[in-house]
Amino acid sequence: MLQVLLTGLATGAIYGLVAMGYAVVYYVTRVINFATGQLLMASIMVTTVLSMHGTPVALALAAGVATSTLGGVVVYFLAVRPVLRFNRLSFAWLVSTLGVGIILESLAAVIWGTSSLPFPNLLNGRDVSILGAALTWQQILTIGIALFTVVGFEIFRKRTLFGKIGMAISSDPDIASAIGANVTSYAVVAFALGGLLVGVAGILVGPLSFANPYLGESFGISGFVALMIGGIEQPAASMGGGLILGVLTILANTYINAQASDWFPFVVVMVVLLVTPNGVFMSGGAIKGIWRRFQTSRVEAKS
Amino acid sequence: MAVCLLYAAATLGLAHSSNYQQGLFLVAAVFSILALSLDLVAGMLGLYSLGHAGLFALGAYGTTILNSHFGWNLFALLPVVVVGVGVVGIIIGSLALRVSGLYFAITSFIFTLIVGVVASDSTITGGYQGLPGPIFPNFPSAMSSFGTALVWAVSGALLVAVIVIWSIRSSALYPALLAIRDAEPFAASAGINTALTRVLMFGLSAALAGLAGWTFSFLGFITPGQFNGTTSINILVMVILGGMNTRLGPIVGAVFISLFPVVVNWNPLWQEILFGAIFIFVIVFVPEGFVGVISRIARRIRAGLTPSSAAPEVNEPTTSLGHGSQPSSALPNTSVSATAAEFALEARNISFSYVAGVTVLNNIDFVVRPGTIHGLIGPNGSGKSTLVNLLSGQLTPSKGTVSLNGHRVETLKAPKRPGFGLMRTFQTAVMVREVSTEDNVTIGLIHKYRWITARSLIWPFLPSGRRDSRSMKSSAHGALRSVGLGEEWTRTKVADIPHGVEQLTQLAAACVGLPSILLLDEPLAGLSAGEIAQVATILRSLRSSGVTVIVVEHQTRFIFDVCDEVTVLAAGEFIKTGQASEVRSDDRVREVYLGQ
Repeated sequence: MLQVLLTGLATGAIYGLVAMGYAVVYYVTRVINFATGQLLMASIMVTTVLSMHGTPVALALAAGVATSTLGGVVVYFLAVRPVLRFNRLSFAWLVSTLGVGIILESLAAVIWGTSSLPFPNLLNGRDVSILGAALTWQQILTIGIALFTVVGFEIFRKRTLFGKIGMAISSDPDIASAIGANVTSYAVVAFALGGLLVGVAGILVGPLSFANPYLGESFGISGFVALMIGGIEQPAASMGGGLILGVLTILANTYINAQASDWFPFVVVMVVLLVTPNGVFMSGGAIKGIWRRFQTSRVEAKS
Repeated sequence: MAVCLLYAAATLGLAHSSNYQQGLFLVAAVFSILALSLDLVAGMLGLYSLGHAGLFALGAYGTTILNSHFGWNLFALLPVVVVGVGVVGIIIGSLALRVSGLYFAITSFIFTLIVGVVASDSTITGGYQGLPGPIFPNFPSAMSSFGTALVWAVSGALLVAVIVIWSIRSSALYPALLAIRDAEPFAASAGINTALTRVLMFGLSAALAGLAGWTFSFLGFITPGQFNGTTSINILVMVILGGMNTRLGPIVGAVFISLFPVVVNWNPLWQEILFGAIFIFVIVFVPEGFVGVISRIARRIRAGLTPSSAAPEVNEPTTSLGHGSQPSSALPNTSVSATAAEFALEARNISFSYVAGVTVLNNIDFVVRPGTIHGLIGPNGSGKSTLVNLLSGQLTPSKGTVSLNGHRVETLKAPKRPGFGLMRTFQTAVMVREVSTEDNVTIGLIHKYRWITARSLIWPFLPSGRRDSRSMKSSAHGALRSVGLGEEWTRTKVADIPHGVEQLTQLAAACVGLPSILLLDEPLAGLSAGEIAQVATILRSLRSSGVTVIVVEHQTRFIFDVCDEVTVLAAGEFIKTGQASEVRSDDRVREVYLGQ
């Protein structure tokens, strides 16, 4: 059971990082970047191809993450900025970001072929045993990075001026820009950060997934499902959604059958969407709100 | 008639053409049906469904499996599939449309993903390999001169889709659908059940997607890859590329996108890249679509040809309100005659709070005598707008009763209240900007006519449809004239009219259904002195025809001049009600409101 839980958390940490990649972008710009999965693929492919040609692994990893970070910025300028200028509230970005995703995927297939390439083996060979559950160092590193990311992001968001302006832009870009926030540069940073997160997710999952142009779609969808489970409004909640999804997927694979992970996430997300449309953690917020209201009404009744 | 013959002749020609040409036509026609069905919800209602690939798949797999495994007749399957997928659409719609916008797009997208996963993993669907579709029977030999039967079937299906969608576009429902999309409070207070209409239209759209699926099953192999999330986006791109909410746009877009890969036969990967580039290009450079661009250019040319005239003046109102001819098929005026109840509107012990603990209205009594003009005043934050929203059903009171002409209505939602003779306007007029003032005013008449939604499917073919369209237009003209807007304004789009005219149009939309109680929330906001005098004249003429008018306003001079009685609120508390002169001289009122 512990084994399932820990493996699930390690898988879920990847989904969570991808979900945060979506959520950070959505948080600032109200755009869902449907090329997010393909940015993850770009990080894996670039790392793989560079290390195959003899680049030191550390350099290849850095280049992979840098590629997806830059890719995020490219998505913004190519597919999002022109559309938002036309109408900030339309869903046109849905089509244009997906267009970028299709181009990235097909370009990768044209350049590097469609067969899987081996990713440099990082910490995957070495196992460690925790209370009888076997994990690789890679998996432990993944969980660690995911937790570090959430905590770091929340501190950044709430404690720094940059983060607070980001929150202001998130709730009303017009007023935020009226008080002097440069909305465009924040959007660029959000897209870069989104690319960075999935780039990291890519090099963490690479040793298991290998490198393939079509990885982007499956990770993109899993990350999106995690995003919907956790709730789209808060980046930290989307990480929680990833962890839940990871554990549930491994549970389904262990206790239902090996194919269950194909359909189980969708059933989960459908239930979540129908029961609590704003995600599991958002409804936690709603419950807190109701509790607060209940308490104020009690206070009032007393007075 | 001539059009029908031409269409039949074109189909006959296609049915005799080469296999290659037929193949092109079949694919383009199937996707045209899909794009038309998506435009019904995306273009007219603003519901960006990404579930259409899933609904399409249900139609195609349903037809194939029920035919090959269970031996159902292909033609008996047609209604089964169309109705079945329509019901699925209604179920999805009623679950997912509780919240519209992005949430709906995402839920429907996940529906498509689920259908894809189920199709890939089940044995009955043939997994990733898919299933061979059923063979469409050919004509009996006596009719062989008609050529390929499948071409006729697909062409007939396309014709049905075109007729249904185009009928809705020309029906009285069309402005109402756009109002649900752009101006939901306006639509609801005009008596349109917005939630139900959305779900029904999504069901209809799903049924058409099912029809597309039925025809698609005859085109060869059916595999899960044909119905994935990208297909859903493809259909949306077809609609956007051709032109959203236009007659021909979805068809143009579907033909272009579906035939492009066949005609331009490249390496599939490069083709994908080109496709992605088209997505971006379309969204960035032609967001209004081919048809949108062409009609804009055409409009500009036409505008260049006709000599420009100065903006028309607003006329003196004619006092013809209440004398407009009522059509025979209109419902009898459901409002109880003004003298039946002691009060036209009676709200007792009303309490309300948005957040528990913060009381916005506290135990308010608000009664209005029939046939009077009643003013409701109070400083900002006194709860006037909240009270108006409670009276018109936008909000439900936490305590207290609301009666309209003696009927208790506090539990009824906004769309039910026009049936009790109540119509209202809003502080800021939000109407459908892309249709004329006349069409906007007809929205106020929808609740007077029966079966509008069902009849809209074949509206132009129904004598009653044509008759109702005419009578609605003439009532709308009458109402616009009665607020001083003559012929020169009736065909102008709301997007192109000045603010004052917009407010008057809103007033006309509220008056056109001959309400017995009219609720006006700050009707003077942003009006010029001349327009204010005009509104005063209109209100007096309404009173003389027996209408009870309630006005929320800040301009006390107007209120004390026009109103018979006035009620004052301050900070959610009832202060005073009575004759206008009496209220004006009341010390407490002066203190809380006039600041004297």
